[in-house]
Parts: sequence; C-alpha cells; structure tokens
Amino acid sequence: MASDEVILETIDLDKSFGAVHAVRTVSWKVYAGSVNALVGDNGAGKSTLIKLISGALQPNGGGFRVRGQETRIGGPAGAFGLGIAAVYQDLALVENRDVVMNMFLGSELTRGPGQIFLDHKGMLRQAHQVLDDIHARIPNVREMVRNLSGGQRQAVAVGRALIRGGEIIIMDEPTAALGVEQTQEVLQLIDTLRSQGKTIILISHNIQQVFEIADFISVMFHGELLGTRPREKATEAEVVAMIMGKRSP
Amino acid sequence: MLGRLTQGELKIAGRRREQLLFLMDNGIYVVTVLLFIVFVFLAPYFFTPRNLVNILISASLAGIVTAGYTVAILAGQIDTSTQGVLAVATVTTALLFEELGFSLPMTVIFALLAGIAAGLFNGVIVVNGKIVAFVATLATQGVMLAIALFLSGGQTITIAREGLQEAVFIRVFGIPSSVWIMFFCYIVGYVLLTQTKLGAHIYATGADYRASLLSGVPVDRVIRIALVISALTAALTAVLVTARAKQSAMFGLAIAGSVDFVTALTAVLLGGFSLFGGVGRIERNLVAVLFLTILGNGLQLMNVPTGIILIVRGFALVLAVILSVLRARMT
Repeated sequence: MASDEVILETIDLDKSFGAVHAVRTVSWKVYAGSVNALVGDNGAGKSTLIKLISGALQPNGGGFRVRGQETRIGGPAGAFGLGIAAVYQDLALVENRDVVMNMFLGSELTRGPGQIFLDHKGMLRQAHQVLDDIHARIPNVREMVRNLSGGQRQAVAVGRALIRGGEIIIMDEPTAALGVEQTQEVLQLIDTLRSQGKTIILISHNIQQVFEIADFISVMFHGELLGTRPREKATEAEVVAMIMGKRSP
Repeated sequence: MLGRLTQGELKIAGRRREQLLFLMDNGIYVVTVLLFIVFVFLAPYFFTPRNLVNILISASLAGIVTAGYTVAILAGQIDTSTQGVLAVATVTTALLFEELGFSLPMTVIFALLAGIAAGLFNGVIVVNGKIVAFVATLATQGVMLAIALFLSGGQTITIAREGLQEAVFIRVFGIPSSVWIMFFCYIVGYVLLTQTKLGAHIYATGADYRASLLSGVPVDRVIRIALVISALTAALTAVLVTARAKQSAMFGLAIAGSVDFVTALTAVLLGGFSLFGGVGRIERNLVAVLFLTILGNGLQLMNVPTGIILIVRGFALVLAVILSVLRARMT
C-alpha cells in the first residue's frame, strides 16, 4: 500500500554533539502508509535522526514538515501530539507489570474526581481491541511482560504506540534480538500496521529483511542521507555499496 | 541458555516459576495462621482477649510505619531514615504539647508537618542529588537524629499534661484507635496502590526507572511523593508512640520496641516485596507485621529470654532477605 504522499519531511536537519557532526543537513521524505527503511553502518547517524524525529533530541538546525505543515517537535510529548511514536530497541517495557499496564504506562485511562483513579475496565477493553487489531497472539493481557516471547513484547510495545495515537511508528531494530520464528511474527506485525494505513519508519541492519518488507529504502553514511530508493528499483548490491559510502550515480 | 528451549518448554518453565512465586508470595498467610495456632497451645495467656488486643496495639505501631515504608520500597527507594523521622516527630510532639502548650490537634498537625518536611528533605537529596535512597537516607537520618537531640536538649521529655494519651487511645468497639488508624492506613494504601494513577506510577518507577521515564511517567515526582508518604507514616507512628509512652521516645526504639527500620524492612521482605522495588502487595505486609508481632509476643509469654527473641527476629530478617533475593533471581 505504498503511496507517494509524504507524511513527514525533515528539512536540512542538523545535529552535532561537540565535535561530532552526527546528522548533516538531512532532508528526508517519509511516505505515508509505507514502510520506510533507514539503513546504514554503525555510527551513520540513524539513531540520532530517529531521536530528532521522536523528540528525544533537539536539532541544532533545520526543521520538520508534518502533513504539509512546518512544525517543531518540542519533545516526546510533542511528537505524540503529532502522531509520532517511537518503539525503542529495548522496548522500554516494565518486566514486572502486566500487558495492560505496560500498554498504558504514562498514558493511563482515568476516571473519578480529579482523574486520579484508574479506569481498569476501559484499559482492559482498549488493550484487547488494539491487540486484536494488530493480530497479536497474547492469550492473557493480565500476564506479566516477563513471561512473554520477544515477538509478543514487540506487539505490546507497538500496542502502546498505537494507544498513544501513533500514526507514524518508529521501530528501532525490532528483530535484532529475535529468533527466526519471532522475527517472522514481527515482520507480519509491520505488514499488518501498513495494511491499516500506518506509516512505519524501520531501522534495520538486516538488508535481506529490509528488502522483504520495506517500500522505500534510505541510506545514511557519516551523518548524510545518501539517497532514497523505492524497493522495486533498488538492488541489494547497490544498497550495500551505499552503506559503505559509495554515492549512487 | 533460554534460547535453546522450545516455545513449549519455555511456557512450562514460566508456569512453574509463576507457581513457585505464588507460593513464596502467599506463604506468609499460612505461616502466620500456623504460628498463631502453635502459640494458642504453647504460650500461656496468649489466647486471651487482653493479650490479643495487646498484639493489635503493638502491631498497629509497627504496621503504620511499615505501610508508608512499603510505598517507598515499591517505588524502588529503600528509606533508612525512619528512625530519624520518628525521633524528630516524637520530640516535636512532646515539646509542642508539654512545653509550649499547643492544643492536641495543632500538636498532631505540626508533628505530621515535621514528617512531611523530613520526607521532602529526603526527596531533594535523592532526586536532585541523584543519590541512591539507601545511602542518602542513611545520611539524612543522621541529620534528623541530631536535630531531635538538639531540640530536646538530649533529655527525654515527660508528658504530665492530660489529654494526649487519652485522646489517641480512645477505644472504639473495645479496640484502641491506633489499631483503627492502622487499618485506615492500609485501606488508603491499598486503594492508592491498586486503583490510582499514582499507584501505577509508583509500581512502574520501582520496577523499571528508565522504561517509566521513557514512557512519560513523572519518575522524579513519584519518588518524592513516595518518600514523603514514608516519612509521614513514620511521623504518625511517632505521635502514637509518644502518646502511649507519655514521653518523647528518643530514637523511637527504646519504648516502641518493635517500631524501627529493621522491623519494617523484615515485614516488607517477608511480605514478598522486592528490595529492588516494583513488586509486592501492601495487604501481605499487614500480615507480615502481625506475624512478627505474634512471634515476639508469643515467645515473651513463653518466658523466652529477650536476647533469644532478638536472635529469632534477626533470623527472620535473614530469611526474609534470602527469600527476596531468590525471588529477584526468578523474575
């Protein structure tokens, strides 16, 4: 369901940490309803770029255009407000809490005077609904996260992003620590999200996997964006060459 | 190693672990009932109305301080300043009521305010100073003990004025008010921890500080509130201890007997809480306090020497720590 509609655009985005120029005037287009893969070697600036988009870092220069509107992303809360939600590599799940409480952590549904009481029923209902929507196989939402498989955890973290109104979901190396079966589960999850019209930004080291799932492949090298290719027009050899710093003709 | 297990094997291992954890968590109920039955037969006068009320009174003092302590532990903060807060609040109570002639309500309010101030102080050191609570509160306790010593001039302040003990230990349905206050604290604690957003944040912050922070939980505020709650219940306990003894109880130890940091810690750990935060249920804690109180009371009635009783209690803490570490390894 890839489209040509740009939902998010970075404009000459720039970020330095002291002498390290991590992101160099990057102008990147993220396409709506598509899987936008961001690849590059360690230290290429992928993580920094993603953190700028998710509001975890503030740029030194440049800006954003979201749904055609120029905007700032003031912090994680500002990113949520724009429908941008990051699923961190370590997922930021609390092991000793159950699935529902993890999905609503930091954005709990409340009721009663002063909104201080938890709306347990409402959260349970919505958690079931969101997990059903993404076809997650989690038999019991009251299960502690510590007892879940890697794929199930990813689903919980994505569920949390969706509950926060995530339309643009950033997934940082979602399959890095997973086995074959779990990896397939996560790829299916990404596919499901795309079929529901969500935009996915996928950071991955795994070129094969990127070619399997992505609609657009963007390559970073030494803080610069070398280019973006629609998957069907790219070859693995070309992408690997770009990752190693060879500009495409 | 887990990577080599199949999905099915993982599930079975997970279920066994959960069963064992369930036993470790709820064993305290069984053990407490068993201990009670044993003393009914072995300890003379144990099963008399008068002694049962005595047990409840002792348990209430340890119970209230432990209730707040639990909240701090759940937020991942081992608050070791309990005795310092007790000392400041007991001296405040005695000074205001006896020497400065404050009314009873004003005395109680100021003693509780002293507790809140102590909790805020702890919060500043822990949060702004970014110092582990265990160490930070050990240091602040020293400051609090010194303040109490200074205020009281190193003397025990005896309360001759009528009204404090009588008011605080009014019997309702034959049971002293301190026991009702304890039950009230646990009901409030239960509702707070299981039914409110703050409670959810306390658990989450204790279980995983970083994940909570990334998820938008106001972790620093949560830690501050937890430390204030812990100090507030310690101050409340101090008022009751002072009223009961009709004098300031320096260091909170000598008179209260079982009201101290170590008892609170033992109870919390026996109740299935994790030393590292985020795990445990407050109602189990109440049972653990009853267990420790019954243990001390029963042994005393059997004329076991105090030294031996202290050794037994010491072992209870050792056992509790072992259980806690086992638990932490399993999760």
